[in-house]
Amino acid sequence: MTVGHLEITTYDAATGELRAVYDRMRERPLPPAYRPSHGGVPGIITAHSLDPQLIPRVFGCSTTLNGAGPLSWPERELVNALTSRLNQCLY
Amino acid sequence: MASGGDEKLSRAILEAPRAVTAATPRLQLLAELATITTTAPWAFSRTNLSRAHTAGLSDEDVLHAIALSAYFGHLNRIADAVGVPLDYDVHLAPPATEPTVPALPPAPATRVGRPALELGLRPDTQRAIAEWRDYAFKRDEPLTRRQRTFIARCVASWLGDGSISPPDDMTGNPLDGAVRELARTVTLAPWQLGPQCFAALRETGFSDAALFDVCATASIAGMISRLEVALVSLAS
Repeated sequence: MTVGHLEITTYDAATGELRAVYDRMRERPLPPAYRPSHGGVPGIITAHSLDPQLIPRVFGCSTTLNGAGPLSWPERELVNALTSRLNQCLY
Repeated sequence: MASGGDEKLSRAILEAPRAVTAATPRLQLLAELATITTTAPWAFSRTNLSRAHTAGLSDEDVLHAIALSAYFGHLNRIADAVGVPLDYDVHLAPPATEPTVPALPPAPATRVGRPALELGLRPDTQRAIAEWRDYAFKRDEPLTRRQRTFIARCVASWLGDGSISPPDDMTGNPLDGAVRELARTVTLAPWQLGPQCFAALRETGFSDAALFDVCATASIAGMISRLEVALVSLAS
């Protein structure tokens, strides 16, 4: 399904390898602030749906940076938010 | 921006991200590290590291901030390339993207040398990036390995990463030229990404998967080069 500039496959539409990857992603601990209200897989993960094998690599890296110190969670939020704004990204 | 946190600082980030004033020297230096990593990683010098130490940041804190900013830059680039809609609640909505904002400047010079901080201080992150890099550059579909290497070399040259050879295959091949232009937008102006950026490659038969591969390859190359350049520059 294309809802943006490139194809995005949502959780409900995913099958096979992508569905299995999504299921593993859903099992990861995630702060409530980052849980989408639609209850599915966060959009930033589905944004990678054209390459299912890339997803665990990208978000495995995230775990080592966003899920660990030494910076505190608010400090990590500052870095992430400022980076995103400087890149003019809505996400 | 997710809900919660320091509202005054959040508003400052949204309204004037290059001139953020934080409540403490520690937060101010973290903002500085994120800003330079994102906009001009070659502009770091040992003065930045010294100021960070004075503000109470350890080497590990500095490395964490730079690596995190480089990583989040990847998420921004993929979100913009794909055009994924924001799907979580935000306390303060960001302004609309302004595509006329000029691209970031390429590095004025190449940075080479020993890094001031070793990524090995974060072994889990180092391992995760290595696994990601191997996946990104050691396969032949949809892009060829030559195209992947070409992208990485172009990106390194724009970011001033002297640890990677500059592109030597500048033969004027139109396909290479179109790949290079998309990779340049991903690297230096991700907010300009949109359907128009994909048109030239679509005309040559690139599928969505291949277009995504160009963007994802340029993005991981940029993350790695941005990190390398920042850590080397901190020693200068």
